[in-house]
Amino acid sequence: MNDLASIVRAFLPLIVLAALIGVVAAWDATFLSAANLLNVAADTMTLFLMASGVTIVIIIGGIDLSVQAVASMASCIVAAYLPKWGAAAVPFALFASGFAGWLGGAASTRLRIPSFIATLAVSGVVTSAGYWFSSTRALNISDALSSRYLFWAVGTTLGVPREVWVGLVALAALSFALDLTSFGRRVRAIGSQERAAIAAGLHVDRAKIAAFTLSGLMAGLAGVVMSARLGSGSPVLANEFLLPAVACIIVGGTSITGGVGSIWRTFVGALILQVVRIGMTYMGVTVFAQQIVFGFILVAAVAVTMDRRKVLIVK
Amino acid sequence: MNEAPKTLELRGVTKRFPGVMALDGVSFAAAKGEVVGLIGENGAGKSTVLKILSGIYQPDSGEVIVNGQPLRIASAREAFDHGVAMVFQEQSIIHNLTVAENMFLGREAEFLRFGLIDKRRMNAATEPFLRRVRLDVHPARRCADLTFAQRQMVEIAKALTLDDRMSGRVTILLDEPTSVLESAEVRLLFEIVEELKQRAAVVFISHRLEEVVSISDRIYVMRDGKVVKEVSAANATIPDLQAQMVGRQLHHEYYREARQAAPTAQVVMQARALSKQGAFADVSFALRAGEVLGVAGVVGSGREKLAQCLAGHLKPDSGELIVQGDTRRVWGAYEAVAEGVGLVPSERKVEGVVTAFSVAENMTLSALPQFERRGVLDFARERAVAQQWVDKLRIKTPTVRTLVSGLSGGNQQKVVLAKWRVAGVKVLILDHPTRGIDVGAKEDVYELVRDMTGEGLAIVLLGDTLDEVVGLSSRILVMRDGGVVAEVDAAAGAKPSQLDIVRHMA
Repeated sequence: MNDLASIVRAFLPLIVLAALIGVVAAWDATFLSAANLLNVAADTMTLFLMASGVTIVIIIGGIDLSVQAVASMASCIVAAYLPKWGAAAVPFALFASGFAGWLGGAASTRLRIPSFIATLAVSGVVTSAGYWFSSTRALNISDALSSRYLFWAVGTTLGVPREVWVGLVALAALSFALDLTSFGRRVRAIGSQERAAIAAGLHVDRAKIAAFTLSGLMAGLAGVVMSARLGSGSPVLANEFLLPAVACIIVGGTSITGGVGSIWRTFVGALILQVVRIGMTYMGVTVFAQQIVFGFILVAAVAVTMDRRKVLIVK
Repeated sequence: MNEAPKTLELRGVTKRFPGVMALDGVSFAAAKGEVVGLIGENGAGKSTVLKILSGIYQPDSGEVIVNGQPLRIASAREAFDHGVAMVFQEQSIIHNLTVAENMFLGREAEFLRFGLIDKRRMNAATEPFLRRVRLDVHPARRCADLTFAQRQMVEIAKALTLDDRMSGRVTILLDEPTSVLESAEVRLLFEIVEELKQRAAVVFISHRLEEVVSISDRIYVMRDGKVVKEVSAANATIPDLQAQMVGRQLHHEYYREARQAAPTAQVVMQARALSKQGAFADVSFALRAGEVLGVAGVVGSGREKLAQCLAGHLKPDSGELIVQGDTRRVWGAYEAVAEGVGLVPSERKVEGVVTAFSVAENMTLSALPQFERRGVLDFARERAVAQQWVDKLRIKTPTVRTLVSGLSGGNQQKVVLAKWRVAGVKVLILDHPTRGIDVGAKEDVYELVRDMTGEGLAIVLLGDTLDEVVGLSSRILVMRDGGVVAEVDAAAGAKPSQLDIVRHMA
């Protein structure tokens, strides 16, 4: 009985996702067609990629608010440098994104400031960098360049959109890191009880910086994929993504207080948000009002999932 | 005995924790016009009494009677409102508020004018109280700018504000009030206490027996959760009180004295003139493989900070520490563990174990690289190694996958010890290793200490009781006011008496 309840709780996000798909399908049966579902998945992947790295930061007990700025910057770098550098533009974009993540992590751990402040500050720096790389414009990526260098993120393989493949590879790689390596073990130990992790002799700062770097890297990857899909890069490309990114992590069941969570949860959370978004579109909710709904979902999800025994005082 | 009405009385108060009887039918009383001393070793139950009076714990049975009325205390605030003020070592003063704001915290309504707080009137109301504790600071000063001793006086002054409202039916509890004071400040405190007792009952809790004897009218001695003696201060002698506090005789079997290893010649850790401002100064010792070095001292002696320093959690200001031949350059827990130094912390559930982790995950936490094969954790080997330690240390747990939060305190402590054994440390700092665990588990821990020294580990022990320190150690450093005041040999079969140690402590 108790076991059943805990199993239901563990897989609640999947159950919610199935229920939501059911609701939307009842509205419009064509929603359930394979082609449409694959499209939905493809549309979800940039959100998932952006949230996947943040998931690890949240599990280690922090937050990364710089990801939307980092993704935008990465799109600018790709759009600006593909014509000049060709293939090297993509690694450069990822490197710059990872560096931005590292910066937030280093500032937070070395200067002992809360990560939301450190990454908010980095977000400002990175936004400016995005404007600088793009000369404050939206830059188009020509089809020729796109098909030559960004082919891995557009089109289909085995009938499945390549964004989905990228997302699945990221899901597998990050799940591997979090669930099967000592890095993941350290991340969970630090997130659930940092003082015990310190006393056990774990290099806490190093693990945190690694988590933030990974978060920046994944945000950069999200930005590159986004620029490939849209055929352009812009310093505001990923605006409006931060709130849904955090929301899908929490909706997936990762605890905002750290220690507990997984990448597949964020994957499912992202799909939930996407289905809600589509459902709202069907029901005629304007795009501008959708952030209101995401805000409500975020607060509701935190209220439901937060372990208040761990936090005596909420700041 | 005083004939004045009792302001605070405990009748048969009992408090049990899993496996431990923290308070066993404790009764005591304090009346206006007297100073009551409350003494006892660490773990005797003094702090549990305070926690019950401040509402942190509820007694399992017995009554707390305040001014003649039985009271269930839910918070320190509630106790205060009924006339019981506690002046704690960890002070309740809020540092970024002014003296006056702290004095009337929660009572601002009395100073409202047109909905705003009349600061001038509040400051004026504060001044007479400050004069009574002879504190010459402006009421508008921020408490953060005061010295520790001054803040303590503010706290006492705050207790005096009760006096006005309760018309003298007030009890003031002073918990180790002198431990950080200079001798001039102690004299001043005592003068104030003499004045206080004209208008209130004062309960004085301290390790320093001379002070307790000189200031108190009556003294209660606690041991093992019981009040074992009530004596008028006029008839009390310090050696007598010490004997009462220590109580039972040493029995050799309990501490496995026969298995106490003779120290080897190999020095594994050497401290040279280690000093930390405000904590300890000029501490030197050599720790040998196979040895248990006990560190005795009261709260404020600096031994806790010394232990943190040895474990790398705290950086000393000067002096050096040589671990296995190498001078420690970087101070951090990570570096200390890499050098082979582990800490079994006193706050087991905060620092010792990750409660949301399984037994196996806790055991391997300090040695994760050992369990990695080509970048992947070898879960099967992790569980196998954990199972070996569960068997070896007789840890009571359904499986190695069980979460540590479900284990008893004693078994959690064994998991912490196993963690350090898996990591292969050479030096183990035990900070109150048997705090809050039951008698049987304590004996198991003692057995494990003997096992470890037998295998060549060196142990620094901050015992929960003096009894334990004497029983387990091969040598004992006695600390007082941050310095090592004595080094006492404690070879098996030639143990010093506890009085030999206590003599140096206070």
